[in-house]
Amino acid sequence: MNSPTTPSRPPLRSVLLRSRKRTILGVDPQKLIKYFFGSNASVAIIVLVLIMVFLLREGIDFLPTYQRELQTYRRAGLEFCDIIDQPLQRNQALSSSLRQAVSASLETLSKTARDWRDAAFLLKRQVEDKTARPRESLTQALEKTPPAPEQIEVFRRELGEASAAAAKALDYPAVFGTAEREQLQREFAALTPEVTDLPPLLQTLAAEFSAKDREARTKFASLVQAQEEFEEATEPLQEVVDELKAKALETKEKAVEFDVLETNRLRLLEAAATETDAKEKASLTKEAAESVSEAVNLEKSIQEITGRTAELREQVEKYAVVIEKAAAVLPQDAGTGAARALVNEVREGIPAHAREMRAAAATLEGWRWDKPVSIFSVIGAFFFGTQWITNSSWQDFFGFVPLLSGSLVIAAIAILIATPVSVVAAIYTNQFASEREKEMIKPVIEFIQAIPSVVLGFIGISLVGNLIKDVSEWSWLQWVPGFPIQERLNMFNAGCLLAFMAVPTMFSLSEDALNNVPRAYIDASDALGATKLQTVFRVIVPAGISGILSAILLGLGRVVGETMVVLLVAGNRIAIPDFSAGPGVIFHPAHTLTGIIAQELGEVSRGSSHWQALFMVGIVLFAISLLVNWCARAVARRFEPHKA
Amino acid sequence: MNPVPINDNPFAGDNSGIQQRETAARWALRIGSYIVVIITLAIMLHIFVKGAPVVFRTQWPFVNTQFLTELPATLHVIEDQQGNHIETDVNGADAVKKKLGDNFRAEKTISYSGGGILGPIVGTALLVVVSVGVALFLGVACAIYLSEYARHGKFLEMVRLAILNLAGVPSVVFGLFGLGAFVLTAPRFVDVPAERSVFSIPFGFTTLSFEGWDTCVLSGGFTLAFVILPVIITASEQCLQAVPQGFRETSMALGATRWQTIRYSVLPFATPGILTSSILGIARAAGETAPIMFTAALAFKDKLPWQKDLPPLPADASIFAHWEQSVSRFLGIFTESVQALPYHIYTLAAKIPQNEYAERAQYGSVFVFLVLVASLAASSVLLRKRLRAKYRW
Repeated sequence: MNSPTTPSRPPLRSVLLRSRKRTILGVDPQKLIKYFFGSNASVAIIVLVLIMVFLLREGIDFLPTYQRELQTYRRAGLEFCDIIDQPLQRNQALSSSLRQAVSASLETLSKTARDWRDAAFLLKRQVEDKTARPRESLTQALEKTPPAPEQIEVFRRELGEASAAAAKALDYPAVFGTAEREQLQREFAALTPEVTDLPPLLQTLAAEFSAKDREARTKFASLVQAQEEFEEATEPLQEVVDELKAKALETKEKAVEFDVLETNRLRLLEAAATETDAKEKASLTKEAAESVSEAVNLEKSIQEITGRTAELREQVEKYAVVIEKAAAVLPQDAGTGAARALVNEVREGIPAHAREMRAAAATLEGWRWDKPVSIFSVIGAFFFGTQWITNSSWQDFFGFVPLLSGSLVIAAIAILIATPVSVVAAIYTNQFASEREKEMIKPVIEFIQAIPSVVLGFIGISLVGNLIKDVSEWSWLQWVPGFPIQERLNMFNAGCLLAFMAVPTMFSLSEDALNNVPRAYIDASDALGATKLQTVFRVIVPAGISGILSAILLGLGRVVGETMVVLLVAGNRIAIPDFSAGPGVIFHPAHTLTGIIAQELGEVSRGSSHWQALFMVGIVLFAISLLVNWCARAVARRFEPHKA
Repeated sequence: MNPVPINDNPFAGDNSGIQQRETAARWALRIGSYIVVIITLAIMLHIFVKGAPVVFRTQWPFVNTQFLTELPATLHVIEDQQGNHIETDVNGADAVKKKLGDNFRAEKTISYSGGGILGPIVGTALLVVVSVGVALFLGVACAIYLSEYARHGKFLEMVRLAILNLAGVPSVVFGLFGLGAFVLTAPRFVDVPAERSVFSIPFGFTTLSFEGWDTCVLSGGFTLAFVILPVIITASEQCLQAVPQGFRETSMALGATRWQTIRYSVLPFATPGILTSSILGIARAAGETAPIMFTAALAFKDKLPWQKDLPPLPADASIFAHWEQSVSRFLGIFTESVQALPYHIYTLAAKIPQNEYAERAQYGSVFVFLVLVASLAASSVLLRKRLRAKYRW
């Protein structure tokens, strides 16, 4: 019996383990898919690297460009002029203080008269504003040739009625008595366009004021005279400096023009060298030949400037002597306490100013036009420069400090406001709030994140600015430094809005931190009989402090990097905030790192030093953001509680 | 006999200092958190009160159709001798002046404040479409890698660190990056490379030149895509992680490959969540101003992106020429610079003198913008809630 032959089967083992992998170009498709996703994952890294590359590509040339510019600044003699001109600016600050002192002194006598006069003139203007339309019609009718008497009559009656109504409706200040009020009303009602003379009462008031003013001026004659002398003292010196400046500027412009033509010529020659077409080549070479210009003889023109060093020093010495004399005769008896303080300030300021001027004059001798500008001094001029001046006819300076200080003050305000609010909110929602409260508070705070920053900036202009200004004028708040504020748009305003923006970030991160506190800590605290409050503030918050700190740091990063709010609200004055004003400085306007880029980049041409400077600011901002992130991570790790 | 003092319940909490302090602290915390809520609501209310009258009307059709369907224009306000103000646009100004004749008194022009805001709305929509398209592709792929493929190691750590840092980069730096990378350097096909081209690869019939895309929707959209990339990656990864591990194990146990597992057992359950969370990305992209300032946005443009003057085709043009022209018209949309809502608001708020007419345009635009962004954000939150209820594993 033949047993049926079983068809030969491959052993089970080999079936199971048989590899049926298909390959594409010798690679397993599963691997390909994996690599595809992996390469997408590296996009984040690539983008970071690209950001760095492109920022550096546009910005790194800034240092050599700025070095060249500063070199020209020195070689053309602009720096020489600035040695004297910069300290001379202090004169203006001093004389403005002095002027304020004078007017404060004069006001002691003439203030009442002036207020009367001003109030009456203001009222007159109000009447005129209100009756502008009929007045215009009447003027037109009067000018018309041939005149139409009946039309004029109609308009005249209209104007009279309007003026009478306006004069009646006016809100007369209390300084005017009943009789005066009535007289004013009568006079205003009679205002017509063809009479240009002031109404009689106004004339009297004006005359009264000038009499008082004269009286005051004679009383404080010595102060007035000292102020005038001090202001005039700068004139001869300024004249010399201005002459030198004009000369230096001329040299600089020539040098710059030469540079431009020269680069152009070199580029044309280069193009000609690679050009194959003979005709084209010839035209390029010809163009290059036309582009030749005369090199400026810097040495000769600088000698014209430095040749007058002795004269300049002499003038400085004269000026110093004159102002010191003026300081000596400054009278003690200013009219008010404020004026006395100002006069004292000037009296102390003048010797320092004179010393400064003399010291500056002394350095003139040691100044060398051909001393090279080292790259380190350029780096210093950028990072520690106190002036950011662009589009100037004199010299552009790209100093970083005004922008950085503005950014830092605003960020400090924002963090000081946002930290307590968001931490408190996080503690409350996490530990105390009922479920329903949680469901209300959390979405609202998270919703803030969705509000676009430009909308908040707009709110700052239209709502918060006016609000702060109105509040600052309340009489019972005048003890606050800086009140009443001058500018609606200032650092405090921007800080408030940025704080509002930072709240959601800081709130949710702090809340996460509190959530992550191990349950056992809380149980242990409860078991020891601690009250809820004790548990929260002695156990939960200390345990979550690392998360809270890193939340604050990340909020700081957000605040420093925010652009639109500060651009719209911070006031955009490029100057180092005047910290001598005390805490009131927060109500001054300022400019910021982010704002300057957004504001100026659209208006500069590619490759100019200004363009490169803005990219340098971008590089610094990028570095700051990386640093803040790193710090936040480091803090989170450093204080991490040991997991229970 | 003295009455025996009635003892209080010894187990009752004491009403002494501790309890009072507890209550006081609780209230202080409560007030602190409610301040934020109240300020937020006050700002919303303010915008609503000032902006709604611009957008809505009391009569049919209840909406200010002109404001929503016209392009921004210069507003001309003409005053007559009686003190009436007539608002008109640049074309109507002359007619009105002629009609008034001698009665004409003064004319004021207010830039950008007339017409409507259709241009900015369209521009923002285009930017959002491009940026979300790019960011979703890159972001979801990155999230799939992080959640499904990556093993602990140097590379993973670097990717995570890069994402964290990318989220912290200031938006204006993204703007600079977009300017340097997309506007000035990105590759494009041209016949003759421009002078600023970094380098070019000739292909014979055309040249790939790295000379940038100029300021256009594409540049702005790509820049915005990288701004919202971290948001999308984080959200997508969370959604992928939320799919139970068991789904993957079951699929693998049945012999599916890793890709089949992802394709059939993970993505279908994660996609709704990913899309919902990406709405938040849309809101963010629509709201950013600084990145598009130098890459896409214009202060003023009197045409919509597709209203382009192309040479008229000859009458006997082939169907292919017609087809080619419509394609180039469509592609042209993305190579135009556009107005965008946030930039329009910035222009209105910062670049023109403030008066009642400008204020009307400002609050109207802000109201529309905020309603758009807020409804996106709110719908994202609501949808997420519903999804959570639906997919409860």
